[in-house]
Parts: sequence; C-alpha cells; structure tokens
Amino acid sequence: MIERAVHSIYDSYTGRRLLAAVFVVIGVVIAAFILLHVVPGDPARAVLGEHASAGAVLALDKQWGLNQSLPDQFGHYIHDLVTGQLGSSYFYHENVISLIGQRIAPTAWLVLFASALAVLISVPLAAIAASRHDRFADHAIRAGGVVGLGMPAFWIGIVFIEIFAQHLHVLPTGGWGNSDWQHFEGLIMPALTAALAIIPILVRSLRVGMLEVLESDFVASARARGLSERRVLLVHVARNAVIPTITLLGLNIAYLVGSTVIVEQVFALNGVGYLLVDSITNRDYPVVQGLVLFMATAVVLINLATDLISARLDPRIRLR
Amino acid sequence: MDFENYELTRRQLIGHGAKGSALLAAGSLLAAPGASAATRKFARAAAATPKKGGTLIFARSTAPTQIDPANSIIAGDIYTLDKIFEPLYITSAAGKLTPWLATGYTTNKAQTVWTFNLRPGVKFNDGTPLTAADVVWSIDRERKNTDGPLSFLDYAIKSIKADGTDKVVFTLSTPWAPFLSDISVFANAILPANFGGKSATAFWANPVGTGPWTLASWKPDSNITLKANPHYWQPGKPYLDSITINYVSNQNQQILQLTGGQAQIIDNVPPSNVASLKKNSNVDLSLFPSWQTDILVFNEAVAQFKDVHVRRAIAHAIDTDTLVEATSFGTAKPGRGLFPPSLEYADQDAPALSYSVSAAKAELKKSKYPNGFSTKLLISGGVEKWSEFATIIQAALKPLNIDVAITTLDHAAFETTFQKYDFDMFIDYAINDISDIDEMASFNLDYKNGGSKSYWSSYNNPTVSKLVEQAEGEFNTTKRAAIYKQIQAIIAQDVPFVALDYPPYIYATSTKVRGFAVNPGGAYRLEDVWLA
Repeated sequence: MIERAVHSIYDSYTGRRLLAAVFVVIGVVIAAFILLHVVPGDPARAVLGEHASAGAVLALDKQWGLNQSLPDQFGHYIHDLVTGQLGSSYFYHENVISLIGQRIAPTAWLVLFASALAVLISVPLAAIAASRHDRFADHAIRAGGVVGLGMPAFWIGIVFIEIFAQHLHVLPTGGWGNSDWQHFEGLIMPALTAALAIIPILVRSLRVGMLEVLESDFVASARARGLSERRVLLVHVARNAVIPTITLLGLNIAYLVGSTVIVEQVFALNGVGYLLVDSITNRDYPVVQGLVLFMATAVVLINLATDLISARLDPRIRLR
Repeated sequence: MDFENYELTRRQLIGHGAKGSALLAAGSLLAAPGASAATRKFARAAAATPKKGGTLIFARSTAPTQIDPANSIIAGDIYTLDKIFEPLYITSAAGKLTPWLATGYTTNKAQTVWTFNLRPGVKFNDGTPLTAADVVWSIDRERKNTDGPLSFLDYAIKSIKADGTDKVVFTLSTPWAPFLSDISVFANAILPANFGGKSATAFWANPVGTGPWTLASWKPDSNITLKANPHYWQPGKPYLDSITINYVSNQNQQILQLTGGQAQIIDNVPPSNVASLKKNSNVDLSLFPSWQTDILVFNEAVAQFKDVHVRRAIAHAIDTDTLVEATSFGTAKPGRGLFPPSLEYADQDAPALSYSVSAAKAELKKSKYPNGFSTKLLISGGVEKWSEFATIIQAALKPLNIDVAITTLDHAAFETTFQKYDFDMFIDYAINDISDIDEMASFNLDYKNGGSKSYWSSYNNPTVSKLVEQAEGEFNTTKRAAIYKQIQAIIAQDVPFVALDYPPYIYATSTKVRGFAVNPGGAYRLEDVWLA
C-alpha cells in the first residue's frame, strides 16, 4: 500500500520534485545546526556580560538547553520544528517567527524588485544580442556582461551611492525609510545592485536559447511564410525563450536571496539578511536556525514553482 | 563589507549618561589632532544660544534588541534605554559623578548607611511624580535579578528602604567606596514601582521613565524615534523635538549618510577615515576620551609567561608610540599602564617599562628562555586594529627570537577560547563601566575576588589583591590615590599586561549639530543637543 503510494508520488513529476524539495530542506536544517554548534561561542556569556559568574552562565545554558549533549540538543530542535516551534531569540526575547516577520519586508521587496529588474533588463539585451548575432551590439553586450560579472556587488553598490546619492542627490544613500515612497526610493540602488549580479548570466543563457530558436526549422518556416522579422522575434522566438528564462530566473533567485545579505549591509536595509549577520555574530542560535530554515524553504519553493511552471509550459520537461 | 560594529555589541560600553555640558566636554578632550575640530565646535556651541525644535537623525552602528535596564549589556540596548530612564547619579561628559535624580546624599560615620535625597519636582513621562518607593522597587529589581549582567555592581547593598517620599536609605554590608559610582550605572535607573501598575509587556511596549525622551516608535526593520518628554525635569530641555536613530552597521554607509546629508551624527568612525572627514567643511569630527585600554594579555598558566622576565622583555620590545602612529592615525594615545588616563586615580607618572630592544634582550637573558621560544597570539577577527597590533607585536618580538604565530577567530569563538584559558597571549581591551577605577582594578588584577582570574591572565599577586580590597573600603581620596599608586608601581614591574594604546570614541557630526558630548563610559545624553 505504502509502496504503491510512494511509487505514485515518484511517478508524478510534481510528487518527485516535492519529495526532492523536502529532502533539500531537511539537509539544510541539519547542516545549519551542525555548522552552528561545532563553532565555539557562548551566547549566555554574550547576554550576561563577562562579569557574569560561571554559575549564572551555566544557569542560562540550562534554561536554553545548551548544557545538553549535541545529539540531545538536535533532538529537541527537530522535535520543536516538527511541532512548529522555532523558539525565541536569546537577545530580543522575542519569538523567532515574529522577529522574522518584523524584518521580512525590506528583503522580500528587494528580491522581488531585483528579479523584476533582472528580467526587464536581460530579455531585451538578450534579444538584441541574438538578433544582431556576431555583430557589434552582440559583442558589446557580451563583453559588458563579462565586466559586470567581475565586479563584486558591494563595490557596485558603493559606486552607485557615490554617483546617485552623493553627487546627483537623486536617491537616498541607504536605509529603508518610513513611507512607501521612501521604501521605493531606498530600494532602487540595492535592487539594481543585486540584479546586476545575475543579469550577465541571464543574458548569456537567454542569448544562446534565442539563437537556437532562431536557427530552428519553425522559425525558418515562419520566415519562409513571409512574416516580418519583428513578428518572428516577438511571437515565435520570444515565446519559446520564455521557458529557459523562467528556469534560469528561478535558479538565480536563490542566488539573489543569498546576495541580499551583502546588499543589505551595503545599503543599510535592516532586512532578514542583516538580522542573519547579527545573529551569527551573537550566536543567537534560534534566530540563525530559524532564518536558515526560512531562507532554504523560500529558495526551494521558488525552485519548485519554477520547475512546475516550466513543466506546465513545456510538457517535454515532465518526461525528463 | 565590514563587521566591525560587533565589537560594540559585546562589552559593557555602559551608559551612565553624561551631563553633556559642552564646556565640560571641551575641557576633557584628548589632546589629539581631531580635538581641534571638536573644540571649534564646542566653542561655537558655547557662544550661541540653543535653538529649540527640529529632529536629529543619528546613523548608529548599534540597534536595540530590548530596553530593560536590568537585563542589558548590549550597546544598542544601553544607549537607547538611557535616553528614557535615568539613575540617581550620572557620569558627566568630563567623567565626573553628578547628582541627577538625587540632589545629594549623606552617610553615617561607618559609611554603611547612605541616605539619598530625591530631586523635588521630578515626574515620569506620564506625569506621575517620582517617589522613594519607585527608587526602592527599581534598584531591588535590578540587584535581585541574577541574570542581570550588572547586578554584581549592587553586591554591597544589604537593604534599601524609603524614608518618606523623598528619601531613600541604602544599608551596605561593608563600607564600599565605589558605591556612588555603582549607583550611577544605567542598570540602576529608576522605573515607576511595579511598572506603574501595568503588566511587564504593556510597560515595555510603552515605557515610562523620567528621562528627556519618550519612545515614539520602534520599527525593527528601520529605526527608533524618540520624542521630547513634556514633563522633563530640566526646564527648557530637551531642545530637540525628536531623535530618529537609524541602525547602520556598515561604517562606509554611515560615513556616506553623513556626508550626503542623510544623517547628522555617526558613531564608531574608523581612525583611517578621520583625515578625510576632517577635510570636509560640512563635518565636525570629535574625539572623546574613553575608559578603555587595549591590552596584550599573557597566560601565566603557560610556563614561558609565568616567567616575569619574559613578560618584561616583551613589554620592553613593543614600541607603543610607533604602534599608535601606525594604527590609530593620530587618534589614540600610546599605552603606558593598565589604567587609562581618563580614569580617576590613574597615575600619569606611574613607572612603565619603556621601549628598548637592548633592555628587552637583557631581560630575556635573565629568563629561563634566553634563546627565545615559539608561541601563539590569539586575536578577534573582523577588526582591522587587532590584526595590525598582532602583526606589529609579531615583528617586535622577532629580535628576541620569540616566534609568534597569530591565530584569528571570529569574535564569539575568540571570547570562548580565551575564557577557557586556551591561549598563550591574546589582544583585547580592558574597559570600565563605571567612573570608579575599582572595577578595572578588581576585574583585571584581583585574582582572588575579581571573578576572572585577573582577566584570564592567571596573574596572582596577593599583595595586589590585598591593596585592591583595601582601596575598596578607603573613603579618604588622598589615601585611596596612594594605594592605587602603589598598585600601579607593582604591576609596572610584574607586567601582567602590556598596555598598547588608549583609544578615544570617534564621532562625526554635521556642523549644524551643537552640544553633543560623550562621557568616558561611551554614553551620550541628547537633551543638550540642538541644531543651528
């Protein structure tokens, strides 16, 4: 019975992807726990100050369960996870879920904004490069991409700040601000910085994809039917290039989520990336574990959604 | 990207609130190159009449996690809550204890009963008057909180009781000279008794204190806004309507926010940026002396460092003048002794082993390791200064054939490692939370009672322990000074630590900001600040 259920899950494409996603999240959770706990560091000492007596430190360790063996701590952690508890921050004295909730907005908007910018910039560039294959525009776009890839995000961020905030005074230097307009203004440079890190990759892959489509039989036949080049590009080529775009974007959003940690630092956005860095520094275990789980789940879900959407758009994928 | 700010979130950079008097601050500035700009600023502040109104925007390297005085040790917590809650005494910008919610005190002859007179007319920000019952409740709450990082400071208190509504009587278990200093710590700030009848959750969401500021909003993803307390007891203050504190841990971003006009004050300015900021005509740079000494710590449980001649040789080999020049860009003062000059009773003329390679070699010859040895130096990563110090020390010890391997660990790991005594040498800093020198003396030098085996060095000189204890019960300032002079003379020869430098707090402000000052404990009060 169970075997049949497993088989039927495995047989369906969606089931297979879901199963893989669950395993990835479990793997990340275990890895995060081990990495965090094998590195020395004492949150109780940090909370209590260095004048604290050994007794006070031990008492707090007990309260947090840090005096137990690592396997026991892991057991409790998994038990709490299964029952839906992420625990409370040692420093903020607040539930990890609500702590993430308070800080999620800048990060979520940053990822969304950066993804949108990445698509809006990559697709036209790739289309130009593909349609001007081996001509100047193509070479210029490809060379620009290589240069872009070579520049680290924090450096690009600083250059943007120098130009747009310090000299032109059109954008704020950093921060999230208080109003919707300030949030939007504050996100332009960070989103562009984050997007620039993936745009070269997107452009390259899309260009190759579009070239393949351009050389395919159905494009040749479309042209033979006397359709205008513009119509060929927009209707036939672009439509077929959507699938690799979605797949690539999905994969790169994972990269974007990771890069928010650096981009948030550079632009003083107090999102979850910022919270993660602070919490690692402070050895605020529940917060780090909660955030890692949260980010891993987000990335896995985005990848899963990408897989499923691509499969829906292109039935061939389901059979692979 | 840098993570230098975490240094601030670690230690007892305690707010005892500085009175913030512009003149006091100007008088206490370090005679360092940055001081001239600061002096200029304070001269302006003194000359002009304060202007009321406006909002100050502070791009600060630390954010609060919570604001309960009895449970705080993180800089972001302390320097937020000390704007809302106040203690009976504070430490002024000049480092002097100043009556605050109390107007003064009297003691019995044995110095074991201290009666504080409360300042008349002080109200909490909800309009209710401050009474002795509030003081009793608040300090009892602090001292009985075993998880309180600073409850140890209240150890001398046996009991507290109210005498009417305007007097509070403290009975001490022993005559305790640092008591007034202890009482001035932010952790002993006064809250309304029983949270004014509210639940703890309701109280912390809407905190009630006597301070110049009230909590207007706290957005974890953005900033904290403090508004002027309309019931504040100092007439006419605070000058500003409100303060917005933005959390900006990236130092580069802090500087750019200041120069771009988005922020008016930044803290934690890296010494390497001082020169370029001084050239900016829209920026004032201020250096404030701190109760901090950067130190090289020896582990006397390790054979080589048990040998006093080895420690003395190393002290002779390190040229702190050059070290300061190379690392602080003229902002810090070279280290001489353990106690920073800003601390009362620090003996400026205390003998120190001066830089001399030949003297170092001669000392090492007297040791059991005349031909040198290999050893390890542990430092905390992420802060440029520590690695620069380590490299300089490594080079300085080469002529002695002492081969130093540098180990860098991330800060939390670094702390755990040296606190397990798992080191040969490490670089860190000694810091005072209160204005009384006893804290550093006992924590760093008193093996018996200090609580850290002389800052994990295992330095154990019973004479020093006895003198530290003796000074704690000595109320005559001349006699007390003599005891500390003696202690400093002994440790200059024993060399449990090498004092590397005395770093100041470095702040940069817009030239529009007036009346800003930081006390040697690192706290700044903002009721005296105004915008020109």
